[in-house]
Amino acid sequence: MDRISGFGPVGGGSIPPAPVFKMKKSKAVPGDYVEVHLTRLIYEGVLLEVPESEKSMILLKLDNGYNIGLSKKDILEIKLIKRAKEEKSKIEIKKDPGKPNIAMIITGGTIAARLNPRKGGVDWLTSSEDLFKFYPELFEKVNVSRVEIPFMKASEDMDFKDWQKLARVVQKLLNDQQIKGVVITHGTDFLHYTAEALSFFLRDLNKPVVLTYSQRSIDRASSDANLNLQCSALAAISNIAEVMLVGHANSNDDFCYAMPGTKVRKLHSSRRDAFRVVNSKVFAKIFSSKMEILSEHKIRNKGKVKLDLDFEDKVALVKFYPGQDPDILDYYVKKKYKGIVLEMGGLGHVATKRARNSWTKKLTEVQKKGLIVCATAQTINGRLDPLVYSNGRELLETGIIYLEDMLSETALIKLSWVLGHKDWNVKEKMLENVSKEFGDRLG
Amino acid sequence: MQLDYEKLGFKSGLEIHQQLDTNKLFCNCPFLLRKDEPDFEIKRRLHAVAGESGKVDIAAKHEASLDKDFIYQGYDTTCLVELDEEPPHEINSEALEIALHISLLLNCEIQPITQVMRKTVIDGSNTSGFQRTVMIARDGYIETSKGKVGIWYIYLEEDAARTISEDENSKTYRLDRLGGPMVEVVTAPDIKDAEHVKEVALKIGDILRSCKVKRGIGTIRQDINVSIRGHPRAEIKGFQDPKVFLEVVNKEIERQLGNVGKKIKTKPEVRGANEDNTTKFLRPMPGAARMYPETDLPILKISQQVINQAKKSLPMLRSDLQSELRKEGLSEEYIRMLFKQNKIEEYKELLEVINKPQLIAKTLLVFPKDIAKRKNKSLAEVEKILEDNYNGVFYLVKRRQISESHVKDVLSAIVDGKGLDDAIKLEKVDIGDVEEKIHKIIKEKPGLSEKAYMGLVMKEFKGQIDGKQVMEIIKKFVK
Repeated sequence: MDRISGFGPVGGGSIPPAPVFKMKKSKAVPGDYVEVHLTRLIYEGVLLEVPESEKSMILLKLDNGYNIGLSKKDILEIKLIKRAKEEKSKIEIKKDPGKPNIAMIITGGTIAARLNPRKGGVDWLTSSEDLFKFYPELFEKVNVSRVEIPFMKASEDMDFKDWQKLARVVQKLLNDQQIKGVVITHGTDFLHYTAEALSFFLRDLNKPVVLTYSQRSIDRASSDANLNLQCSALAAISNIAEVMLVGHANSNDDFCYAMPGTKVRKLHSSRRDAFRVVNSKVFAKIFSSKMEILSEHKIRNKGKVKLDLDFEDKVALVKFYPGQDPDILDYYVKKKYKGIVLEMGGLGHVATKRARNSWTKKLTEVQKKGLIVCATAQTINGRLDPLVYSNGRELLETGIIYLEDMLSETALIKLSWVLGHKDWNVKEKMLENVSKEFGDRLG
Repeated sequence: MQLDYEKLGFKSGLEIHQQLDTNKLFCNCPFLLRKDEPDFEIKRRLHAVAGESGKVDIAAKHEASLDKDFIYQGYDTTCLVELDEEPPHEINSEALEIALHISLLLNCEIQPITQVMRKTVIDGSNTSGFQRTVMIARDGYIETSKGKVGIWYIYLEEDAARTISEDENSKTYRLDRLGGPMVEVVTAPDIKDAEHVKEVALKIGDILRSCKVKRGIGTIRQDINVSIRGHPRAEIKGFQDPKVFLEVVNKEIERQLGNVGKKIKTKPEVRGANEDNTTKFLRPMPGAARMYPETDLPILKISQQVINQAKKSLPMLRSDLQSELRKEGLSEEYIRMLFKQNKIEEYKELLEVINKPQLIAKTLLVFPKDIAKRKNKSLAEVEKILEDNYNGVFYLVKRRQISESHVKDVLSAIVDGKGLDDAIKLEKVDIGDVEEKIHKIIKEKPGLSEKAYMGLVMKEFKGQIDGKQVMEIIKKFVK
């Protein structure tokens, strides 16, 4: 399809520029009902917030429900007609002593963001009342007895300090006898990193820790959050004492999967079933009202959860591509990085001695300088095996730690966690199956 | 019953929904209704959502009471956008241009800065739970026999999925129609009486059909708003045929009169047209509360450049086009058929190759049917083969490499699978052949009339040759 170009600034082209009026200062704020006076016309409607990039216009919601924009330079005056009323509808949520209690942790992301069409801006869901308003079905199975908000962030804005803070909140809730399990709502983009971090930070897990999300905004009747939350509630009161990610199993609103926190990855930018288990099995298949256990997992117990939050953030994830100059590794040494996870091709290969840009020598050199180098698979699926080809054997001899079927993102988090412990044997610990990050039998 | 509309305080406006003839509005999928077995199905559920200020819209609440599974059927012509699994793509610029054409022809003012909105619809006919719609223009008018009728708004919006089946627990929709571009024209309540409703509908329909819109059953739909003094407005949905307007409007007035008399408390509502042209309750009238911005798309700016482009490519009104075709010397029958078969564009293109209106019209309208009948093929199949060849054939007619009377033979050969080069050669061989045969027939049965020879020759060739040319040859031999 041809697209007409020129969705550019309005008022260009052959029309002479309109006279620029100096708009009178207005008392009206977003949400107010106003009259907008132009030279020829008067518009009535609700004044809305405008996006940061569109400050040269105002947005108006007309009585027919449609929003239009008006260029500020054409406006003579914005007359305030009626102030917006703050409508606070009080909702009472009855706690049912017969239902199990869960705690919710809200951290941001689509699942907690709600457009306020009255003003045009974004509101956050921050209380059980808000949750109840949007997800009444969630409360049919459980009492949401606690809502914690350690921070409100998009997942791409988080770092290990946020993960540590989150782990502390989770620990506190899990060690509360009144609470059967924890559900964390989270942005999707880097949700699997948080799942991985919690999988290593929370030791001796006693109850379910469920992370969930939505790919479709919650203002729409089709939002995937509804089923994801219902299934998450069931997972949180189940006997699976694991860090797991719960979300749509496919495009249908039929059931969700409970996926192991160290073996899950976002594999689609927009579909409901964006998260998939890689090199492992799902824990359970969860419908809105029942659950089928599909693989082995740790069982709910009466123990106390401990925290192990040590973390070394001077660790990087490097993706190899053919022809890449190995000198890039000097940068990490110079910047005092302690370790890198190198994403390799195939069974575990980067350019060797036969290549113009060989990595073999450089890899030996940087490891001698103390940089830990671990290897994971670019293919995402499958296990590394450096012994099959001579190129692999040559690289193995440099001292690289091959991480078998571990996901690159999991490897990054684990290496950072392991390197945070100065007295640990790095290679030994990296190859120990601490939190189901290795799969012993790949299907 | 004779109604005095003025005395009744009769108020009526129209909402006309017209499908556009282009790809879908927010993805590149074809707007193509499929009859074959679907390639896949997905199952979804929708739930009521609190609108602004936490209120569930009254219309949305009514629909939400239907607690159903929705099954959606998809094809290889469906993508993740229709499945509500991918954000909408940039608005289809061709659909926007067509909407601008319609707006300009209805004397409207284009809205240069506007926002795509989500209109909550939770009967399942939209996978997303809303319909995307955007206001393109406002404040236009048309001239009618009873004065000006205002055009309030022009919206460009997505069509809904088609209902395939429904039972107690589920409803099945097909995604082929979902997201197809539609223009909605909303008139002011300036319509004077039931007869006037029909006139306005026909007039707007005519203007719409001058633009690149879909034709045929189901491609246009009219809703009528009717009220009389003392009664709230009712929206009667789903008309396709303006012929029934008169009766439906009058029956609705009678219904409303009955309510006013009985002092029944009534609310604005949406009604559907019954088979007997009475109306039935569908749902309460939706409020503006169910409209909120489509946050996945930027604010739509329709630049002066785009508006100028639309002005340049503005199609001629059907009535103007008709008189132009008449001036070109085309018969009324051909004019009517060109419109009916939606072949005006093709006709005009070919007219630029060769200025022979009658020949082109005949070629487009008559020959494919004849050839299809003779070769026992479907018309669609024949037209598909021929559509790319008309240009070449007429070019050769202009260069006198094909005679006008043999256009049909050449096309016929093309349908047989011959290339254009071979089809011309065939024509030359054939003419020699024909002459020889005609000569033989006349020699064998001397003394008959020209008409009688004509009959014999046509019988011999089983009607596969051009009668006009045969007559010329016969005349040559019969002195």
